[in-house]
Amino acid sequence: MAADNLPSEFDVVILGTGLTESVVAAACSRVGQRVLHVDRRNYYAGNWASFTFNGLLSWIEEYKAQQEATSPEAEPGWRDKLEEGEEALTLNTVDNFISNIEIFCYVSQEDDEEEEEKSEVAPPTSAQSDELEENGTKEITTTMDEALEQQGHEGPEDKETDEACQSPQEEEPPVDHNQSEPTVDVKKKISYAKLLKEGRRFNIDLVSKLMYSRGALVDLLIKSNVSRYAEFKNVNRILTYRNGKVEQVPCSRADVFSSKQLTMVEKRMLMKFLTFCLDFEQHPEEFQECSEQTFWAFLQTKKLTENLQHFIIHSIAMVSSETLTEDGLRATQHFLRCLGRYGNTPFLFPLYGLGEIPQCFCRMCAVFGGIYCLRHSVRCLVIDKEANKCKALIDSRGQRISCSHLVVEEGYVAKEQRKSIVYKQTSRAVLITDRSVLPQESDQQVSLVTIPPLEASGSSVRMVELCSSSMTCMPGTYLVHLTCSSTGTAREDLGPVVSRMFYEPATPGDEPAGDDRTRPTVLWGVYFSMRDTSQMDSSEYHLPSNVHVCTGPDASLGSDYSIKLAESIFQKLLPDEEFCPPAPNPEDIIYDGDGNPGEGAGFEESPKSMGSTIEDECSRSRPEGKTSEQETETKEADTTEE
Amino acid sequence: MAGGSVTECKEYLFKVLVIGELGVGKTSIIKRYVHQLFSQHYRATIGVDFALKVLNWDNRTLVRLQLWDIAGQERFGNMTRVYYKEAVGAFVVFDVTRSATFEAVSKWKHDLDSKVKLANGSTIPAVLLANKCDQKKDASNNSTLMDNFCKETGFLGWFETSAKENINVDEAARFLVENILQNDKGLPYEESNGDRIRLDQDPVAAESKSGCC
Repeated sequence: MAADNLPSEFDVVILGTGLTESVVAAACSRVGQRVLHVDRRNYYAGNWASFTFNGLLSWIEEYKAQQEATSPEAEPGWRDKLEEGEEALTLNTVDNFISNIEIFCYVSQEDDEEEEEKSEVAPPTSAQSDELEENGTKEITTTMDEALEQQGHEGPEDKETDEACQSPQEEEPPVDHNQSEPTVDVKKKISYAKLLKEGRRFNIDLVSKLMYSRGALVDLLIKSNVSRYAEFKNVNRILTYRNGKVEQVPCSRADVFSSKQLTMVEKRMLMKFLTFCLDFEQHPEEFQECSEQTFWAFLQTKKLTENLQHFIIHSIAMVSSETLTEDGLRATQHFLRCLGRYGNTPFLFPLYGLGEIPQCFCRMCAVFGGIYCLRHSVRCLVIDKEANKCKALIDSRGQRISCSHLVVEEGYVAKEQRKSIVYKQTSRAVLITDRSVLPQESDQQVSLVTIPPLEASGSSVRMVELCSSSMTCMPGTYLVHLTCSSTGTAREDLGPVVSRMFYEPATPGDEPAGDDRTRPTVLWGVYFSMRDTSQMDSSEYHLPSNVHVCTGPDASLGSDYSIKLAESIFQKLLPDEEFCPPAPNPEDIIYDGDGNPGEGAGFEESPKSMGSTIEDECSRSRPEGKTSEQETETKEADTTEE
Repeated sequence: MAGGSVTECKEYLFKVLVIGELGVGKTSIIKRYVHQLFSQHYRATIGVDFALKVLNWDNRTLVRLQLWDIAGQERFGNMTRVYYKEAVGAFVVFDVTRSATFEAVSKWKHDLDSKVKLANGSTIPAVLLANKCDQKKDASNNSTLMDNFCKETGFLGWFETSAKENINVDEAARFLVENILQNDKGLPYEESNGDRIRLDQDPVAAESKSGCC
């Protein structure tokens, strides 16, 4: 934990710990590059981070504060570090990724033990919203601040993990077997204090994505052995919202046959169509005539019923009504090919949230010698004017660190280096609810819900509902992520869907009555917009040729965009190296004496896959006077110890 | 989960963290314990995640201990969650010949407790290792002081160890595992573990904590 100076020379310096940056870091470190990976934030994963409940509340506070703060950068100190022929290029220091944050609390904020009985007296804090709006942002109410205070400002870095989600000591709400008449009365009501108390059980992702079981991310995790750091849950249901009802989408063969929504004829039609999609390229005669038309029009020519068209467009291909035939077929094919690899839907979700994945790659980078520094910012890049290359950077402590390549999260690029400052936005909402949108026998379901546009002009909404065994929320609750392309603020875009599908108490703690009881109750929710830079490419930035920008995350469901970008950046950096070859199994690694072969007897199966990394390490000279144990940290110690 | 009256052989997989300042002998202890060897000149810990030690605890219990070394991240205390998650025990190591490494012990312990908890919300069992005791200059006996320190800081206990001379390493591990097993008995098996998916299909890692042979 000692905070000595960093080494002053690296091959690759990476700013930001989001998915793309972390994959590049792992890939470079794995093939022996000296990697410095820093993030100006105090947590991992950047825009891909996940937070505990309390962590998210303080993060929002800090986020707003840093946006309002005027940076007083007196910033001398580095000018003298520049040499002749060099100029400084400053970076953006303010996080702009998120905007339009709005929080709603629907649970009683009374801090009491017997919250089952009394609930009326709670202050009407959720009334906050509409009238307070100002540029779409608004302040969290004082009650929330107090509650936060009383919990202590737990930073996101204090995120805790625990061994199991199901704490036996907690009285859990009984499993609700009855779909139409939920037994609300016996259910213990969850108060705001309870959410805070159990806050560490939440892992709330900023970005909501699933992993296609045959997508680029899963393939990379397997290929690189980074998969050993994570476990996953199957997304076990695909649901859709239609005619005011949540329905299960039949997608596997077994689903189709057991489906109650489909007629016998429809079942045959659907099977036939899906079988065709699996290898549609083999049957060009079936679709070539329609290649100029939309996929939707093509489905109509196939005489599929409206029921089936809905399932295929919205839940299987997950495309819009404007998508062209071949793209729709390709999307359907991808979906079908991913079925059955791990379960009955094409998707996986990482335990503890998506924010776990960048950290897995960071661990791999560190295991191969990468050095990590959070809360570390960069004052400026040092540019060689003639060559137009980034030679070095000067960090916030005034240290000059040289590098051959710089990889940087999009958000670090300053306005002056951007050609365009118009961005797409993605609207997001995160809700904590009391039960599933489609309760079934088991309450431990992970569901993808596809919601077609409520109005013709709107965009379709993607919803992911997570249960507590995904390690993202406390037992007795569900964590619901909503995502769509923005047309307005997140609240404007997603509010209507939330109001239709969930019950939002008018006064915190209110019990649903009548029809409202058929819908899950929202306990707490947040809306925000995320910048989507995925359509930008390197021509959009005025940057030296050895500075590589990591754009994204994009708005799509999978992570292919970010993984492919990482691979292409890696190939620009190291065109002759393999991208993420498998890391050796820890059990295959020899622990023997350096130049002392006798001692290692019996552990000699040399891990060939280690490549040159180990050898390079070993051939370095060891400073005198160090004890053996200090050797363990040779890589960093070399340059800094004493 | 592991019900029935069949002669059961219980298998456990425990993740144990080994933390402490730079150069206190974390890697040496792991190597001594897992591979029964010690070398003055270890290769750098590059490419090494964790080491596995299989213990035939008794004739009905098999324990697989995964000892996690800290990678390049430790320098600024910036370990990822990947490192901490689902750990059930920890060794905090200091070097008896360098008092500064002892002073950092409470910091490490605090960091540990803030980042990982057992299912029931309590802190994970941790044992303090006073390593390099073979190099201790004075023969002073601080054991009362150390006992008190452990009580205050929440350690189960402490051991004077030497990875070099193979002193107390096995004993300390045995002590920690005993405590982990006790904790484990107090808690029901994770009911939801069954449907977790691993992509690597590694048979060892895929084992749940309560498999039957």
